[in-house]
Amino acid sequence: MKIRVRFIKTGYLKYLSQLDLVRLFTRAFSRTNIPIKFTEGFNPHPKFSIGNPLPLGTESIAEYMDVELTEVMDPKEFLQRLNLILPKDIQIIKAEESISKASLSSIIKWSEYEIRLMVEENEKRSFFENNLETWKELETIEITKKKKKGKKKIETTINILPLIGNILYKGIDEEGFIILDCLLKSGENGNLKPIELIKSLNEKLSLGIDLDLVMIKRLEAFVEEDGKMSKPL
Amino acid sequence: MISKYKLDKILMKVEKPSRYIGMEQNIVIKNLEEVKVKFAFSYPDVYEVGMSHLGMHILYNLINDKDGFACERVFSPWVDMEKEMRNENIPLFTLENKEEVKNFDFLGFTLQYEMSYTNILNILDLSQIPILASLRLENDPIVIAGGPCAYNPEPLVDFIDIFIIGEGEEVTLELLDLYESHKNNGFSRDEFLLDVAKNVEGSYVPKFYEIEYNEDGTIKSRMKNNIEVPDIINKRMIRDLDTMYSPEKLLVPYTEAVHDRISMEIFRGCTHGCRFCQAGMVYRPVREKSVDKLMDLAKELVESTGYENISLSSLSSCDYSQLQLLISKLMDNFEDKKVGVSLPSLRLDSVSIDILKEIEKVRKTGLTFAPEAGSQRLRNVINKGVDEDDLINAVSYAFKEGWSRIKLYFMIGLPTETDEDLLGIKELAYLVKDLFFDRPKEERIGNFQLRTSAACFVPKPFTPFQWFGQDTIDEFYDKIHLVKDSINDNKVSFNYHDPRVSYLEAIIARGDRKIGKLLYSAWEKGCKFDGWSEHFNYNDWIEALSETNIDGSFYANRNREFSEILPWDFINPGPSKEYLIKEYKKSINEEITEDCRLGCNACGIDDCAMWGVFN
Repeated sequence: MKIRVRFIKTGYLKYLSQLDLVRLFTRAFSRTNIPIKFTEGFNPHPKFSIGNPLPLGTESIAEYMDVELTEVMDPKEFLQRLNLILPKDIQIIKAEESISKASLSSIIKWSEYEIRLMVEENEKRSFFENNLETWKELETIEITKKKKKGKKKIETTINILPLIGNILYKGIDEEGFIILDCLLKSGENGNLKPIELIKSLNEKLSLGIDLDLVMIKRLEAFVEEDGKMSKPL
Repeated sequence: MISKYKLDKILMKVEKPSRYIGMEQNIVIKNLEEVKVKFAFSYPDVYEVGMSHLGMHILYNLINDKDGFACERVFSPWVDMEKEMRNENIPLFTLENKEEVKNFDFLGFTLQYEMSYTNILNILDLSQIPILASLRLENDPIVIAGGPCAYNPEPLVDFIDIFIIGEGEEVTLELLDLYESHKNNGFSRDEFLLDVAKNVEGSYVPKFYEIEYNEDGTIKSRMKNNIEVPDIINKRMIRDLDTMYSPEKLLVPYTEAVHDRISMEIFRGCTHGCRFCQAGMVYRPVREKSVDKLMDLAKELVESTGYENISLSSLSSCDYSQLQLLISKLMDNFEDKKVGVSLPSLRLDSVSIDILKEIEKVRKTGLTFAPEAGSQRLRNVINKGVDEDDLINAVSYAFKEGWSRIKLYFMIGLPTETDEDLLGIKELAYLVKDLFFDRPKEERIGNFQLRTSAACFVPKPFTPFQWFGQDTIDEFYDKIHLVKDSINDNKVSFNYHDPRVSYLEAIIARGDRKIGKLLYSAWEKGCKFDGWSEHFNYNDWIEALSETNIDGSFYANRNREFSEILPWDFINPGPSKEYLIKEYKKSINEEITEDCRLGCNACGIDDCAMWGVFN
C-alpha cells in the first residue's frame, strides 16, 4: 500500500537539511512501528520518497511524501501515530492512499512561494512597488550558475524568464515585510530557487532589497498534466 | 533572548545551521522567568562532537529533572558562525531558549581534552563574559569546570571560578542548591565562593590559594589566603551506581553526531592499571551497574530515543562481570526491534572473542585492537597485560569469521623505548598480515587492509608516568620515520598523530598556574579548535610561548624528581602518590602489576568500594 502525505516544515526546523529530514522520518517510522517497506539488499533502508527538496532555510506548508507499507493501514491512523512522534514544526497535515505509480519528483512541476523581504531604505519602498511590475517587460533575465564538471568549474548563463509563472505583490505585513506571491518552475525539468529570482530582480530592476533577510515559505506544489495544474494530494 | 530575525540572517549564511537551532527530540525548554537557577552547560567544541559526550546528557537531564533548575546547552560555534556572530554583534546563546549565556547563573565547562582550552576562552569572549575570573562582577555567571582534565586544574585557574573534581552527579545538585539558598538570602559572589570552597566536598576554588615558586621555576609552596578552605581536595565519587541518577532519555540530534546511538554506561573505573592511563587511576574503584538496572534503562532509552544501537560504554567494557548475561538478555529483548548491541572497545582476550560471536552477527566492519606497544618488553613497562598470543588468537578468529579490515593502535615515545621496541610495531603488523594471507586462498574473505596508527605519548598527571619527560618533537619525528620507513607494504598503512600537538598537550596537561598566560596569549593570536588539524597553528603557539617567557621543555620534556611539588599534588584522586612511585619503579624494572580484581595492590584508596565485591 502506498500513502501520500502532505507535511509542514516550519520555524527553526527549516534549517534541517534534506539528509537530516530523511533521518528524522526513518527514526520516526521505526519508533511508531509503522509497517514500512524496506528496500532489499545489503543495507536495507525504508521506502519513502520526499518530493522536490526544499532549499535550506525555506519554510513550507506543502511538502509531499510517498510512503510504501507492507500492510494496509488507515491513513488517518498513520497520520496520528506519526504526528505524536514528530516535532511540532514538522507535522503531517494530510494523508491519503495513493495509486499513482509516478514518483512525486517526476510529476511536480511548479511551486508557489510566499516571499517576505525588506528594502534597504524606507523611501525606496514606493520605488520597489512601482518597479516590480516592470519584470514583465524584460526580454530575458539571465543568471549565471557555477557548475563543477570534474575538477573544472564552469559558469553557465541561463534565462530564468520561462521559469517564472507569476509574481504578485500582496502588500506589507505588520512587521513591515513586503509580501510577494510567486509561482516558479520546480522539479527535474526546470527549477528556479526563489532566492535566485529575488537576487536577479534586485540587480536588474535596482529594487534595493536587503538580501540578508529574505524569508521564503513554500505554499503549494503543483502537478502539471496536459496543461492542467492540480495539487499532488 | 536573541531576536529570531537576527538569527535568521546569520543562519542563512553558515554551513550546517542545524547545529545552532536546538529543537531536538527530548529537549527540555523551561520558562526561564520561572526558574530559580539557570545553568548553561558547555562542551567546548563543535555541536556534533559535544552531543556525542555522555556526561553532557547525564548532567542535562539531572539538572532539568529538578523543578526550579534549568540546564541549557552551548557549544563552540564553528568558525563561519563565529564570524557572522561577531559581525552582527550577537552574543553566544543557548540552544534551548536562545538566551544569552551571560544571563545565566552558571556557565559550566566539561574538560575532556587540553587542546580544547582555547575554545573555553573563546566561548567566554563570545558570551561577553570577562575571560579572567578576577575581572568578573557580581552579576556575571559563575564559571565552573569539571571532567577528566580538571584533575590538574591549575592551567585554567585564571579563567574558572570553581572546579569540580571527580564525578558530577551528586555535587552538581549540591552546588545548585547552595546557590539557590544564597540567592534567597541576598547573594554575594565572594560569600558564595567561600561557602562552596568550605562546604562542597570535591570543589576547588582557586582564588583562595597562592603559589610560591623556586628560582628554577618549580613550586616552592602552596598557601591558602583563607584559613577556612581545605588543604587537600578529595575527588567526588558515587558509591552505588544503581541508585545514582541515570537518565532515561537522551537528546537525539537531527544532524549526524559522531556517535549516532545510545551510549549506556555499564560501570565506572578500570582495574588493569595501564601505567600511561589517567582514567584508569582516577576513576578507581570499579563500580558496576546491575544487569537488572541496565535492562530497565535500556528499555527506557530505546523507547525514548528510537535509536537502533546500544553501545555499552565504560573504560573497558569487556571487563563487566556479567557481560555475557547482559548481552544475551539485550539481544533477546531487542532482536525483533532490530536494535543491535555494540562495544566501543575490545580487549585482545578470549572473553572478547566470545562476545564478538554474540553481537556481530551481521555487520563485518573493521575491528580495532590496541596493543599500545610493539614489544612484550615495552608492554610490560606500561603494564598493558596483553601478549602476542592474545593478538594472534583474536585476529585469527576475526579472519575466520570474515573480518578483513583491522586497525592497530600504538603509542610512541613511551618511557624506556628503544628502536627495537619501535620496530616491533612493524613486526606485529606484518604478523597480522601473514595470518591473513597464510590462510588457504579459498578461505580468505574480503579485502585485507591493516591500518596501524601511532599516538605520541603524553605523560599525564596522576599516572605512574607523571614524572617522565616527553620525547622532543624531533625525537618523535625520528621515531615516526623509523617505523614508517620499515613498513613497505601496500596492504599495511601507518598513520601518526602530529607530535607538535602532543607537545603542547603535554605542556598544558602537566602545567601550573603560569600556563594560563600562555593560553590567553595563544587565544589572542586566534588559536582555537586546536584539536582540529585544519585549525591547529603551531607557529602561533610558539610565538605565544616566547612572548609569555614560557619554556615548553620545562613542562613537556623535563624529567621530574619524586621530591618535586607537582602542581596537582593537592588533589586526592584515590590512589596515593606512594603507589604511583611504586608503579613507576616497577615499570623501569619491566615488572607487571596484576589486575586488582585478582588481589588488592594497595593503591591507597581509603574504604575501597571493591572490598568484598571481588576479593
